[in-house]
Amino acid sequence: MVLVFPAIAVLISMGIYAVLTQKNMIRIIIGISIVESAIILLLGAIAYIPEGVAPILDQPYDTVVDPLPQALGLTAVVINASTTAIMLALVIKLYNRYQTLDIHEIRKLRG
Amino acid sequence: MKKINFDKVFSFILVSLLGLFILRVLYSVAGEEAARFTADHYINFGVEETSAINIVTAILFDYRAFDTLGEATVIFTAASVVALLLPRHEASMLKTEFTPVVQQSIAFVLPFLWIISIFLIAYGHLSPGGGFSGGVIISAISILIIFTYGYRYMTRRFNVKKLSLIEDIGALAFLTIGLAGIIAGGTFLANSQVGIYPGTPGELLSGGLMPLSNFAVAAKVGTGLSVIFLSLARED
Amino acid sequence: MIEIILMLLILLLVASAAIALFSKKLLNSIITLSIFSALLVIILIIFQAPDLALAEAVIAAGITTSFFIITINKTEGVK
Repeated sequence: MVLVFPAIAVLISMGIYAVLTQKNMIRIIIGISIVESAIILLLGAIAYIPEGVAPILDQPYDTVVDPLPQALGLTAVVINASTTAIMLALVIKLYNRYQTLDIHEIRKLRG
Repeated sequence: MKKINFDKVFSFILVSLLGLFILRVLYSVAGEEAARFTADHYINFGVEETSAINIVTAILFDYRAFDTLGEATVIFTAASVVALLLPRHEASMLKTEFTPVVQQSIAFVLPFLWIISIFLIAYGHLSPGGGFSGGVIISAISILIIFTYGYRYMTRRFNVKKLSLIEDIGALAFLTIGLAGIIAGGTFLANSQVGIYPGTPGELLSGGLMPLSNFAVAAKVGTGLSVIFLSLARED
Repeated sequence: MIEIILMLLILLLVASAAIALFSKKLLNSIITLSIFSALLVIILIIFQAPDLALAEAVIAAGITTSFFIITINKTEGVK
């Protein structure tokens, strides 16, 4: 449990580092997707109370895990897929125009 | 001697500073036991007020149904943007034909996928699942059909116009369910506060208007993601 | 016991993210992204969040991976 928060910080840093330094456009999108998945992990980890059960209350329970970040995370998962799809559509348009996936080449061409 | 790329070193230093800052923020947030008032109210009174056993579904479709409306808007916008941006291609994809073994096994599995998705949607307030999980399984069905049977077969059965129509019907149904809350005397999207047929917890027909909201959101999410995939895989 | 399993899974998660971002071939990155999502689903189940795990399992391991495969097919193809 104590290892989750350093792992989340490392994942967010790695994702942003990939956005800053990678050349292939699809790898940049993979980096953004990893940052979004790390945020979902953060929402799941904040909700956790030790010795708690899942928020389905049909059995007698002692302590229940916090249900509010889980509801917000469920919305976030679907929104991640939508934004990834829009980014990939833009990559296809850029490839049709410039015939390359290398972002340094596209920055050099300018028009 | 290798050239040291100053861009990469500078980015690495910046990113590690960001990582340390995020770690400091997370450790000061982690142990907070005091900020759980709302969650305690939802857990203690959730089953009485809304008669839904799944508290996450009760939050998403009853207490905070307005966020679900915002999320449906995001999917609608994404489907429209992707359908607008992408041109039609030459028939470049799927030159590899799958053998009849794959086609027959997928044909055997597909009805069970329909059953799983409708089960997850209908029992959304009683067990883990809900409108979102069922809806994305419906879109996974359409992706599977495109991969094994080809794009032509899919557009003969369901083209983008029919799927868009079902998506619009889903969104309008969700808005009409919200207006039913105003007609019954409460606020927009009010379900349990105006007392629309709670029922007993544990039955299938309970929870007010929650099963209808589940079906509307599942239709919207499922067909929205299917339209996105059809636009990405479009060929003529 | 569950603590040791959780620690191993989190280490594997960070390792698979590193492989997905810094490998040489593009197809390896996409398949490793799918493995990353599968590990994330198991960690979410250990954190007692079944709704999140269901939605994340179908979307990130199924739909997002197929979006990436279609994009690779449309742009360059795999060499």
